[in-house]
Amino acid sequence: MTETVFYIIAVSLCVFAVLSVTVKDVFHSAVWLALALLSVAGIFLSLDAAFLGVIQVLVYVGGIMTLFIFAIKLTARIGDRSIRQVSQQSVCGGIVSAGIFGVFLIIIYANQWNDMMLPPGQGIGLNGLGKALLTTYALPFEFISVLLLAALVGAIVIGKVKQ
Amino acid sequence: MNFPVQELLKLAAKGGFVLGFVAVSAMFLIWLERKVSAWIQNRKGPMMTGPQGAFQSVADTVKLLLKENIVPSGADFFIWWLAPFFVAIPAVMAFVCMPFGPHHIVYDLNVGILYICSITSVSVLGIFMAGWGSNNKYSLLGGMRSAAQIISYEVPLLLSVLVVVMEAGTVSMQGIVHAQEPGWFILKPNVMVAFLIYLISATAEVNRVPFDIPEAESELVAGYHTEYSGMKFAMFFVAEYTNFFIISATTATLFFGGWLGPWAPSPVWFLLKAYGIVFFLMWVRWTLPRLRMDQMMTFAWKVLTPLALVNVLVTGWFLVRKG
Repeated sequence: MTETVFYIIAVSLCVFAVLSVTVKDVFHSAVWLALALLSVAGIFLSLDAAFLGVIQVLVYVGGIMTLFIFAIKLTARIGDRSIRQVSQQSVCGGIVSAGIFGVFLIIIYANQWNDMMLPPGQGIGLNGLGKALLTTYALPFEFISVLLLAALVGAIVIGKVKQ
Repeated sequence: MNFPVQELLKLAAKGGFVLGFVAVSAMFLIWLERKVSAWIQNRKGPMMTGPQGAFQSVADTVKLLLKENIVPSGADFFIWWLAPFFVAIPAVMAFVCMPFGPHHIVYDLNVGILYICSITSVSVLGIFMAGWGSNNKYSLLGGMRSAAQIISYEVPLLLSVLVVVMEAGTVSMQGIVHAQEPGWFILKPNVMVAFLIYLISATAEVNRVPFDIPEAESELVAGYHTEYSGMKFAMFFVAEYTNFFIISATTATLFFGGWLGPWAPSPVWFLLKAYGIVFFLMWVRWTLPRLRMDQMMTFAWKVLTPLALVNVLVTGWFLVRKG
Protein backbone atom coordinates (compact mmCIF):
# COMPACT_ATOMS: atom_id res chain seq x y z
CA MET A 1 0.00 0.00 0.00
CA THR A 2 2.89 2.36 0.83
CA GLU A 3 4.16 1.92 -2.71
CA THR A 4 0.80 2.77 -4.26
CA VAL A 5 0.60 5.91 -2.12
CA PHE A 6 4.14 6.84 -3.09
CA TYR A 7 3.41 6.52 -6.83
CA ILE A 8 0.20 8.54 -6.58
CA ILE A 9 2.02 11.36 -4.77
CA ALA A 10 5.06 11.16 -7.04
CA VAL A 11 3.00 11.44 -10.23
CA SER A 12 0.99 14.38 -8.91
CA LEU A 13 4.23 16.02 -7.76
CA CYS A 14 5.66 15.78 -11.30
CA VAL A 15 2.44 17.15 -12.81
CA PHE A 16 2.35 20.09 -10.38
CA ALA A 17 6.06 20.82 -10.92
CA VAL A 18 5.70 20.88 -14.71
CA LEU A 19 2.58 23.03 -14.48
CA SER A 20 4.31 25.51 -12.19
CA VAL A 21 6.94 26.26 -14.83
CA THR A 22 4.67 26.13 -17.88
CA VAL A 23 1.55 28.12 -16.95
CA LYS A 24 1.47 31.69 -18.14
CA ASP A 25 0.14 33.53 -15.09
CA VAL A 26 2.63 34.26 -12.27
CA PHE A 27 0.06 33.77 -9.53
CA HIS A 28 -1.12 30.43 -10.97
CA SER A 29 2.49 29.36 -11.15
CA ALA A 30 2.91 30.15 -7.43
CA VAL A 31 -0.17 28.09 -6.57
CA TRP A 32 1.09 25.07 -8.55
CA LEU A 33 4.45 25.42 -6.81
CA ALA A 34 2.67 25.38 -3.44
CA LEU A 35 0.88 22.17 -4.44
CA ALA A 36 4.19 20.64 -5.56
CA LEU A 37 5.78 21.52 -2.20
CA LEU A 38 2.81 19.99 -0.39
CA SER A 39 3.30 16.79 -2.39
CA VAL A 40 6.94 16.68 -1.31
CA ALA A 41 5.71 16.89 2.29
CA GLY A 42 3.39 14.00 1.48
CA ILE A 43 6.34 11.91 0.29
CA PHE A 44 8.24 12.67 3.50
CA LEU A 45 5.20 11.62 5.53
CA SER A 46 4.79 8.39 3.58
CA LEU A 47 8.45 7.61 4.30
CA ASP A 48 7.80 7.96 8.07
CA ALA A 49 9.83 11.18 8.21
CA ALA A 50 7.04 13.09 9.93
CA PHE A 51 9.28 15.84 11.26
CA LEU A 52 10.69 16.65 7.81
CA GLY A 53 7.21 16.63 6.30
CA VAL A 54 5.82 18.95 8.94
CA ILE A 55 8.74 21.37 8.65
CA GLN A 56 8.38 21.28 4.85
CA VAL A 57 4.79 22.47 5.17
CA LEU A 58 5.55 25.01 7.91
CA VAL A 59 8.56 26.58 6.21
CA TYR A 60 7.84 26.25 2.49
CA VAL A 61 4.07 26.45 2.24
CA GLY A 62 3.35 28.55 5.34
CA GLY A 63 6.39 30.80 5.02
CA ILE A 64 8.12 30.92 1.66
CA MET A 65 4.98 30.66 -0.49
CA THR A 66 3.29 33.42 1.50
CA LEU A 67 6.41 35.51 0.89
CA PHE A 68 6.26 34.75 -2.85
CA ILE A 69 2.65 35.78 -3.01
CA PHE A 70 3.32 39.00 -1.13
CA ALA A 71 6.19 39.70 -3.52
CA ILE A 72 3.88 39.14 -6.50
CA LYS A 73 1.24 41.37 -4.97
CA LEU A 74 3.61 44.17 -4.00
CA THR A 75 5.75 44.21 -7.14
CA ALA A 76 4.18 46.80 -9.38
CA ARG A 77 2.29 45.30 -12.33
CA ILE A 78 3.93 41.86 -12.22
CA GLY A 79 0.62 40.29 -11.19
CA ASP A 80 -1.19 42.26 -13.86
CA ARG A 81 -2.88 39.75 -16.11
CA SER A 82 -1.81 41.57 -19.26
CA ILE A 83 1.81 40.74 -18.49
CA ARG A 84 2.59 37.09 -19.16
CA GLN A 85 5.71 35.29 -18.10
CA VAL A 86 7.27 33.81 -21.19
CA SER A 87 10.34 31.66 -21.12
CA GLN A 88 12.64 32.74 -23.95
CA GLN A 89 15.43 30.33 -23.10
CA SER A 90 13.63 27.01 -23.04
CA VAL A 91 16.48 25.29 -24.95
CA CYS A 92 19.19 26.39 -22.51
CA GLY A 93 16.89 25.62 -19.58
CA GLY A 94 16.21 22.18 -20.99
CA ILE A 95 19.92 21.43 -21.38
CA VAL A 96 20.69 22.53 -17.81
CA SER A 97 17.79 20.49 -16.39
CA ALA A 98 18.83 17.42 -18.38
CA GLY A 99 22.39 17.83 -17.07
CA ILE A 100 21.22 18.04 -13.46
CA PHE A 101 18.95 15.05 -14.02
CA GLY A 102 21.92 13.10 -15.39
CA VAL A 103 24.05 13.98 -12.37
CA PHE A 104 21.27 12.76 -10.08
CA LEU A 105 20.98 9.51 -12.01
CA ILE A 106 24.73 8.94 -11.73
CA ILE A 107 24.65 9.60 -7.98
CA ILE A 108 21.65 7.30 -7.50
CA TYR A 109 23.16 4.40 -9.45
CA ALA A 110 26.75 4.82 -8.22
CA ASN A 111 25.86 4.27 -4.56
CA GLN A 112 24.73 1.24 -2.64
CA TRP A 113 21.80 2.80 -0.82
CA ASN A 114 20.80 -0.38 0.98
CA ASP A 115 24.04 -0.34 2.98
CA MET A 116 23.48 3.23 4.12
CA MET A 117 19.91 2.71 5.29
CA LEU A 118 19.23 2.73 9.02
CA PRO A 119 16.62 0.26 10.20
CA PRO A 120 13.37 2.08 11.09
CA GLY A 121 13.23 3.55 14.60
CA GLN A 122 17.00 4.04 14.79
CA GLY A 123 17.08 7.62 13.53
CA ILE A 124 18.29 10.27 15.93
CA GLY A 125 14.80 11.67 16.52
CA LEU A 126 13.80 15.17 17.54
CA ASN A 127 15.81 15.14 20.79
CA GLY A 128 18.97 14.04 19.05
CA LEU A 129 18.47 16.56 16.27
CA GLY A 130 18.13 19.44 18.75
CA LYS A 131 21.18 18.34 20.72
CA ALA A 132 23.29 17.87 17.58
CA LEU A 133 22.33 21.33 16.28
CA LEU A 134 23.33 23.06 19.52
CA THR A 135 26.48 21.06 20.33
CA THR A 136 28.27 19.32 17.44
CA TYR A 137 26.96 21.66 14.75
CA ALA A 138 26.73 24.82 16.87
CA LEU A 139 29.09 26.81 14.64
CA PRO A 140 27.29 26.24 11.31
CA PHE A 141 23.97 26.76 13.09
CA GLU A 142 25.07 30.11 14.50
CA PHE A 143 26.64 31.02 11.18
CA ILE A 144 23.33 30.52 9.40
CA SER A 145 21.49 32.61 11.98
CA VAL A 146 23.99 35.46 11.59
CA LEU A 147 23.58 35.21 7.80
CA LEU A 148 19.80 35.39 8.13
CA LEU A 149 20.05 38.34 10.50
CA ALA A 150 22.31 40.15 8.03
CA ALA A 151 19.81 39.47 5.24
CA LEU A 152 16.99 40.75 7.43
CA VAL A 153 18.81 43.98 8.31
CA GLY A 154 19.79 44.42 4.66
CA ALA A 155 16.19 43.99 3.53
CA ILE A 156 15.03 46.62 6.04
CA VAL A 157 17.74 49.06 4.90
CA ILE A 158 16.87 48.57 1.20
CA GLY A 159 13.13 48.69 1.85
CA LYS A 160 13.25 51.82 3.99
CA VAL A 161 11.56 54.80 2.41
CA LYS A 162 14.02 57.66 1.91
CA GLN A 163 13.00 60.73 3.87
CA MET B 1 -0.96 -8.47 -3.86
CA ASN B 2 -2.39 -8.71 -0.38
CA PHE B 3 -4.77 -5.80 -0.18
CA PRO B 4 -5.21 -4.54 3.39
CA VAL B 5 -9.02 -4.31 3.35
CA GLN B 6 -9.37 -4.15 7.10
CA GLU B 7 -6.87 -1.34 7.47
CA LEU B 8 -8.54 0.66 4.70
CA LEU B 9 -11.96 0.18 6.31
CA LYS B 10 -10.56 1.36 9.63
CA LEU B 11 -9.09 4.44 7.96
CA ALA B 12 -12.39 5.15 6.21
CA ALA B 13 -14.27 4.86 9.50
CA LYS B 14 -11.87 7.29 11.18
CA GLY B 15 -12.13 9.72 8.26
CA GLY B 16 -15.91 9.50 8.35
CA PHE B 17 -15.94 10.20 12.06
CA VAL B 18 -13.73 13.28 11.64
CA LEU B 19 -15.84 14.66 8.78
CA GLY B 20 -19.04 14.05 10.70
CA PHE B 21 -17.63 15.67 13.81
CA VAL B 22 -16.42 18.71 11.83
CA ALA B 23 -19.83 19.23 10.22
CA VAL B 24 -21.87 18.77 13.40
CA SER B 25 -19.45 20.79 15.51
CA ALA B 26 -19.47 23.70 13.05
CA MET B 27 -23.27 23.70 12.93
CA PHE B 28 -23.47 23.59 16.71
CA LEU B 29 -20.90 26.39 17.06
CA ILE B 30 -22.76 28.64 14.62
CA TRP B 31 -25.98 28.14 16.57
CA LEU B 32 -24.14 28.70 19.86
CA GLU B 33 -22.53 31.88 18.57
CA ARG B 34 -25.91 33.31 17.61
CA LYS B 35 -27.40 32.36 20.96
CA VAL B 36 -24.46 33.69 23.01
CA SER B 37 -24.39 36.95 21.08
CA ALA B 38 -28.15 37.28 21.63
CA TRP B 39 -27.89 36.63 25.37
CA ILE B 40 -25.07 39.14 25.71
CA GLN B 41 -27.04 41.76 23.80
CA ASN B 42 -30.22 40.99 25.76
CA ARG B 43 -32.01 39.45 22.77
CA LYS B 44 -33.38 35.96 22.25
CA GLY B 45 -31.61 34.92 19.04
CA PRO B 46 -33.06 32.24 16.75
CA MET B 47 -36.25 30.82 18.29
CA MET B 48 -38.50 29.61 15.46
CA THR B 49 -36.88 26.37 14.18
CA GLY B 50 -36.98 23.76 16.92
CA PRO B 51 -36.64 24.28 20.67
CA GLN B 52 -34.56 27.42 21.28
CA GLY B 53 -33.92 27.54 17.53
CA ALA B 54 -31.74 24.43 17.75
CA PHE B 55 -32.40 23.46 14.11
CA GLN B 56 -31.58 26.90 12.70
CA SER B 57 -28.16 25.72 11.47
CA VAL B 58 -29.72 22.69 9.79
CA ALA B 59 -32.15 24.97 7.97
CA ASP B 60 -29.28 27.27 6.99
CA THR B 61 -27.27 24.33 5.64
CA VAL B 62 -30.18 23.18 3.46
CA LYS B 63 -30.57 26.74 2.21
CA LEU B 64 -26.84 26.99 1.36
CA LEU B 65 -26.97 23.64 -0.45
CA LEU B 66 -29.75 24.87 -2.68
CA LYS B 67 -28.26 28.28 -3.39
CA GLU B 68 -26.85 29.21 -6.77
CA ASN B 69 -23.07 29.27 -7.09
CA ILE B 70 -22.32 32.71 -8.52
CA VAL B 71 -18.97 33.29 -10.24
CA PRO B 72 -18.07 36.98 -10.27
CA SER B 73 -17.33 38.31 -13.75
CA GLY B 74 -13.65 39.02 -14.29
CA ALA B 75 -12.66 36.60 -11.55
CA ASP B 76 -9.59 34.45 -11.99
CA PHE B 77 -11.71 31.29 -12.12
CA PHE B 78 -9.01 28.73 -11.35
CA ILE B 79 -7.74 30.57 -8.25
CA TRP B 80 -11.26 31.53 -7.19
CA TRP B 81 -12.43 27.91 -7.47
CA LEU B 82 -9.42 26.40 -5.67
CA ALA B 83 -9.26 28.79 -2.70
CA PRO B 84 -12.01 27.27 -0.49
CA PHE B 85 -10.29 23.87 -0.65
CA PHE B 86 -7.04 25.39 0.59
CA VAL B 87 -8.93 26.75 3.58
CA ALA B 88 -11.26 23.83 4.34
CA ILE B 89 -9.00 20.78 3.85
CA PRO B 90 -6.23 21.84 6.31
CA ALA B 91 -8.91 22.53 8.93
CA VAL B 92 -10.16 18.94 8.63
CA MET B 93 -6.61 17.54 8.43
CA ALA B 94 -5.66 19.11 11.75
CA PHE B 95 -7.99 16.62 13.48
CA VAL B 96 -5.58 13.78 12.72
CA CYS B 97 -3.60 14.62 15.87
CA MET B 98 -6.44 15.78 18.10
CA PRO B 99 -6.47 13.61 21.26
CA PHE B 100 -10.11 13.07 22.24
CA GLY B 101 -9.09 10.43 24.80
CA PRO B 102 -6.27 8.02 25.68
CA HIS B 103 -7.23 5.79 22.73
CA HIS B 104 -9.47 8.19 20.82
CA ILE B 105 -7.04 9.72 18.35
CA VAL B 106 -6.84 9.17 14.61
CA TYR B 107 -3.07 8.86 14.58
CA ASP B 108 -0.67 9.94 17.31
CA LEU B 109 2.09 11.47 15.18
CA ASN B 110 5.24 11.96 17.21
CA VAL B 111 5.35 15.60 16.05
CA GLY B 112 1.67 16.26 16.91
CA ILE B 113 1.57 19.91 17.96
CA LEU B 114 4.02 20.94 15.23
CA TYR B 115 1.79 19.15 12.72
CA ILE B 116 -1.28 21.07 13.85
CA CYS B 117 0.58 24.40 13.71
CA SER B 118 1.99 23.70 10.26
CA ILE B 119 -1.15 22.33 8.64
CA THR B 120 -3.27 25.25 9.83
CA SER B 121 -0.70 27.69 8.41
CA VAL B 122 -1.60 26.47 4.89
CA SER B 123 -4.94 28.27 5.11
CA VAL B 124 -3.15 31.64 4.77
CA LEU B 125 -2.56 30.72 1.16
CA GLY B 126 -6.23 29.90 0.61
CA ILE B 127 -7.39 33.14 2.18
CA PHE B 128 -5.03 35.14 0.01
CA MET B 129 -6.09 33.20 -3.10
CA ALA B 130 -9.74 33.94 -2.33
CA GLY B 131 -8.95 37.63 -2.06
CA TRP B 132 -6.88 37.66 -5.22
CA GLY B 133 -9.12 35.52 -7.40
CA SER B 134 -12.33 37.40 -6.62
CA ASN B 135 -11.27 40.47 -8.62
CA ASN B 136 -12.72 42.74 -5.96
CA LYS B 137 -10.69 45.36 -4.13
CA TYR B 138 -12.43 44.73 -0.80
CA SER B 139 -11.70 41.02 -1.03
CA LEU B 140 -8.08 41.68 -1.94
CA LEU B 141 -7.67 44.12 0.96
CA GLY B 142 -9.23 41.60 3.32
CA GLY B 143 -6.99 38.82 2.04
CA MET B 144 -3.86 40.97 2.40
CA ARG B 145 -4.75 42.04 5.91
CA SER B 146 -5.55 38.49 6.88
CA ALA B 147 -2.30 37.07 5.51
CA ALA B 148 -0.22 39.80 7.17
CA GLN B 149 -1.99 39.25 10.46
CA ILE B 150 -1.73 35.48 10.42
CA ILE B 151 1.97 35.35 9.62
CA SER B 152 2.71 38.01 12.27
CA TYR B 153 0.84 36.24 15.04
CA GLU B 154 2.32 32.88 14.03
CA VAL B 155 5.62 33.95 15.68
CA PRO B 156 4.37 34.52 19.27
CA LEU B 157 2.02 31.54 18.84
CA LEU B 158 4.83 29.11 18.10
CA LEU B 159 7.04 30.62 20.80
CA SER B 160 4.32 30.13 23.41
CA VAL B 161 3.79 26.55 22.25
CA LEU B 162 7.54 26.08 22.65
CA VAL B 163 7.26 26.81 26.39
CA VAL B 164 4.73 23.98 26.77
CA VAL B 165 6.93 21.66 24.70
CA MET B 166 9.91 22.50 26.93
CA GLU B 167 7.89 21.72 30.06
CA ALA B 168 6.50 18.48 28.61
CA GLY B 169 9.73 17.34 26.94
CA THR B 170 7.76 16.03 23.95
CA VAL B 171 5.87 17.34 20.91
CA SER B 172 3.37 14.48 20.68
CA MET B 173 -0.15 15.55 21.68
CA GLN B 174 -0.69 12.43 23.82
CA GLY B 175 2.74 12.94 25.38
CA ILE B 176 1.82 16.50 26.34
CA VAL B 177 -1.41 15.26 27.96
CA HIS B 178 0.42 12.52 29.86
CA ALA B 179 3.02 15.04 31.06
CA GLN B 180 0.18 16.91 32.78
CA GLU B 181 -0.87 13.99 34.96
CA PRO B 182 0.83 15.49 38.08
CA GLY B 183 -0.87 18.85 37.43
CA TRP B 184 -2.16 20.99 34.61
CA PHE B 185 0.45 23.19 32.94
CA ILE B 186 -1.69 26.28 33.44
CA LEU B 187 -0.84 26.15 37.17
CA LYS B 188 2.83 27.02 36.48
CA PRO B 189 3.46 30.80 36.34
CA ASN B 190 5.63 30.77 33.19
CA VAL B 191 3.11 28.60 31.34
CA MET B 192 0.34 30.94 32.44
CA VAL B 193 2.12 33.76 30.59
CA ALA B 194 2.49 31.43 27.59
CA PHE B 195 -1.23 30.65 27.84
CA LEU B 196 -2.17 34.33 27.62
CA ILE B 197 0.14 34.83 24.62
CA TYR B 198 -1.23 31.68 22.98
CA LEU B 199 -4.85 32.64 23.47
CA ILE B 200 -4.35 36.17 22.10
CA SER B 201 -2.33 34.99 19.08
CA ALA B 202 -4.72 32.13 18.36
CA THR B 203 -7.68 34.51 18.40
CA ALA B 204 -5.82 36.65 15.88
CA GLU B 205 -4.97 33.57 13.78
CA VAL B 206 -8.64 32.71 13.28
CA ASN B 207 -9.60 36.35 12.58
CA ARG B 208 -12.01 36.76 15.45
CA VAL B 209 -12.93 39.98 17.24
CA PRO B 210 -11.05 41.94 18.55
CA PHE B 211 -8.74 40.89 15.67
CA ASP B 212 -11.33 40.58 12.90
CA ILE B 213 -10.03 43.49 10.82
CA PRO B 214 -9.69 41.25 7.68
CA GLU B 215 -13.45 40.87 7.56
CA ALA B 216 -14.51 44.12 9.17
CA GLU B 217 -18.10 44.39 7.88
CA SER B 218 -18.28 48.15 8.22
CA GLU B 219 -15.33 48.79 5.89
CA LEU B 220 -14.69 45.66 3.79
CA VAL B 221 -18.20 44.17 3.28
CA ALA B 222 -17.02 40.69 4.38
CA GLY B 223 -13.35 40.62 3.41
CA TYR B 224 -11.94 37.73 1.41
CA HIS B 225 -15.17 35.74 1.12
CA THR B 226 -17.37 38.59 -0.12
CA GLU B 227 -17.69 37.12 -3.61
CA TYR B 228 -18.54 33.57 -2.61
CA SER B 229 -22.03 32.10 -2.45
CA GLY B 230 -23.71 28.76 -1.89
CA MET B 231 -21.50 25.81 -0.96
CA LYS B 232 -18.28 27.72 -1.61
CA PHE B 233 -19.28 30.20 1.06
CA ALA B 234 -20.35 27.33 3.31
CA MET B 235 -16.86 25.84 3.01
CA PHE B 236 -15.28 29.07 4.25
CA PHE B 237 -17.82 29.32 7.03
CA VAL B 238 -17.35 25.72 8.20
CA ALA B 239 -13.55 26.10 7.98
CA GLU B 240 -13.70 29.25 10.08
CA TYR B 241 -15.67 27.58 12.86
CA THR B 242 -13.60 24.41 12.61
CA ASN B 243 -10.41 26.43 13.04
CA PHE B 244 -12.07 28.12 15.99
CA PHE B 245 -12.75 24.71 17.54
CA ILE B 246 -9.20 23.57 16.77
CA ILE B 247 -7.60 26.45 18.65
CA SER B 248 -9.93 25.88 21.61
CA ALA B 249 -9.23 22.14 21.63
CA THR B 250 -5.48 22.75 21.32
CA THR B 251 -5.62 25.23 24.20
CA ALA B 252 -7.44 22.62 26.29
CA THR B 253 -4.81 20.01 25.42
CA LEU B 254 -1.74 22.20 25.92
CA PHE B 255 -2.73 24.01 29.08
CA PHE B 256 -5.74 22.34 30.74
CA GLY B 257 -4.74 18.68 30.70
CA GLY B 258 -6.68 17.65 27.59
CA TRP B 259 -8.80 14.58 28.28
CA LEU B 260 -7.51 14.16 31.86
CA GLY B 261 -10.27 14.24 34.46
CA PRO B 262 -11.93 12.12 37.13
CA TRP B 263 -15.26 10.16 37.03
CA ALA B 264 -16.50 10.93 33.51
CA PRO B 265 -15.06 9.23 30.37
CA SER B 266 -12.12 11.15 28.89
CA PRO B 267 -13.74 12.38 25.61
CA VAL B 268 -16.41 14.07 27.75
CA TRP B 269 -13.74 15.97 29.66
CA PHE B 270 -11.96 16.91 26.46
CA LEU B 271 -15.13 18.27 24.85
CA LEU B 272 -16.19 20.05 28.06
CA LYS B 273 -12.84 21.86 28.28
CA ALA B 274 -12.75 22.67 24.56
CA TYR B 275 -16.30 24.05 24.50
CA GLY B 276 -15.62 25.96 27.71
CA ILE B 277 -12.82 27.82 25.93
CA VAL B 278 -15.07 28.26 22.88
CA PHE B 279 -17.65 29.90 25.13
CA PHE B 280 -15.01 32.17 26.68
CA LEU B 281 -13.80 33.31 23.25
CA MET B 282 -17.37 34.01 22.13
CA TRP B 283 -17.88 36.06 25.26
CA VAL B 284 -14.73 38.06 24.37
CA ARG B 285 -15.95 38.51 20.81
CA TRP B 286 -19.26 40.05 21.78
CA THR B 287 -17.75 42.25 24.52
CA LEU B 288 -14.72 43.94 22.96
CA PRO B 289 -14.56 46.40 20.05
CA ARG B 290 -12.35 45.88 17.01
CA LEU B 291 -8.71 47.02 16.94
CA ARG B 292 -7.10 49.09 14.21
CA MET B 293 -4.75 47.33 11.75
CA ASP B 294 -1.60 49.21 12.81
CA GLN B 295 -2.37 48.74 16.52
CA MET B 296 -2.71 45.04 15.91
CA MET B 297 0.59 44.67 14.06
CA THR B 298 2.43 46.83 16.62
CA PHE B 299 1.02 44.67 19.39
CA ALA B 300 2.20 41.45 17.73
CA TRP B 301 5.74 42.57 16.95
CA LYS B 302 6.57 44.98 19.78
CA VAL B 303 4.74 43.42 22.73
CA LEU B 304 3.82 39.77 22.22
CA THR B 305 6.94 38.54 20.39
CA PRO B 306 9.50 40.01 22.85
CA LEU B 307 7.39 38.82 25.79
CA ALA B 308 7.21 35.32 24.32
CA LEU B 309 10.99 35.27 23.75
CA VAL B 310 11.69 36.35 27.34
CA ASN B 311 9.25 33.69 28.52
CA VAL B 312 11.13 31.00 26.58
CA LEU B 313 14.40 32.18 28.14
CA VAL B 314 12.97 32.18 31.66
CA THR B 315 11.50 28.70 31.15
CA GLY B 316 14.86 27.43 29.92
CA TRP B 317 16.59 28.94 32.95
CA PHE B 318 14.10 27.28 35.33
CA LEU B 319 14.46 23.92 33.62
CA VAL B 320 18.26 24.06 33.69
CA ARG B 321 18.26 24.96 37.39
CA LYS B 322 15.87 22.14 38.15
CA GLY B 323 18.27 19.84 36.29
